[in-house]
Amino acid sequence: MNDERDELIERASLALRPLPRVNAMATARIVAAVRARRAQRPSALRLVLDGLSGRSLSLASAGALAAAALVIGFVTRGAIGARDDAAPPPVAPATRGAEVPARPAADVAGVVRAVPVPIVFSAAPNATRVSVVGDFNSWDAAAAPMRRVGKDGPWTATVLARPGRHVYAFLVDGATLVADPRAPRAQDLDYGGAASVLMVVAP
Amino acid sequence: MSEIDPAIALRAKRGDEQAFIEIVEFYYPRCLRFARNMLGNDQDAEEAVQDAFVRVHDSFPRFREDARFDPWLFRILANRCRTLMARTKRHRALIEYGEVPASAAAVEVDQFGADWAEEVQVVLESLPAEQREAFLLRHVEDLSYEDIAAVTGVGLSALRMRVKRACDTLRARLTEVEQHER
Repeated sequence: MNDERDELIERASLALRPLPRVNAMATARIVAAVRARRAQRPSALRLVLDGLSGRSLSLASAGALAAAALVIGFVTRGAIGARDDAAPPPVAPATRGAEVPARPAADVAGVVRAVPVPIVFSAAPNATRVSVVGDFNSWDAAAAPMRRVGKDGPWTATVLARPGRHVYAFLVDGATLVADPRAPRAQDLDYGGAASVLMVVAP
Repeated sequence: MSEIDPAIALRAKRGDEQAFIEIVEFYYPRCLRFARNMLGNDQDAEEAVQDAFVRVHDSFPRFREDARFDPWLFRILANRCRTLMARTKRHRALIEYGEVPASAAAVEVDQFGADWAEEVQVVLESLPAEQREAFLLRHVEDLSYEDIAAVTGVGLSALRMRVKRACDTLRARLTEVEQHER
């Protein structure tokens, strides 16, 4: 059987071949989503380590070990759930405005608490350091330092936030608060700077 | 169509983020083209491509070091497109049940006259999804039949038949379009 190529099919193929214009943030969103997934797993492991040290260690109880087993189970399921024909990724990318549906992470007790939310920021190309601060991390400048995508690309970070409304901003070079240009502006500026609104939606 | 340096795919498999970024930047335009042609709208296409790359990242531990990257990437992307098509189909069924006139957009295009690329897209969208997929992979993405078999999991003779049927339909309908415009 021949390849069915003729002049008409060739013209039809050519019409479908131009490469589309790519959104400048596309790569950054993917990298942010991937970093959020990486952050999700170690954070669960940190819970295990935290649970096995300090207070929990002094308890030395079967309960602490059972809790650790529970979290390890969660991590394992996360790793296995990444088949290409499996359900959608647990970390939803922050691509549609400021509304972020995401799958909740379970805490040690199995209670739904916070979800990993990938954040992308491209409005500070010349900054040397940026962190994302907001209601979800008590506006702690050290809680969520952002990393660049490549050498001079947009900044990304992952925050853990409970479903609901959060006010947040970016702290640029430790001095300037900048609102997210891609998200709705917050009207309740009770801490005195520009800020945006993030809606985290539980699935 | 050029493929990415296999060494970059191996670096990405071993966790090198910069290599993963290079892969995304190299393949994103092609992936978006395929997803747009499959799904017919930009928003779903961007979602499919983003999901596909996240799944590529997650599935790298299972990517064989001696395997070629292109067919593996397109297999994951084609799966995402199929999933989104199924979702869209359910959504459309709900809209039609609600008696929203689904053909309004098509009427508008006819009134103003679509250009050649739009006509091709309209005919393409009318093809069964498996024929559209096979046609795009062969004639737009330039994959070999062997690679398309790896992407779709379908045998070579069945794939050739899908492409032939897609070409027959395109040829017949586009010939009508051209005669109509003369």
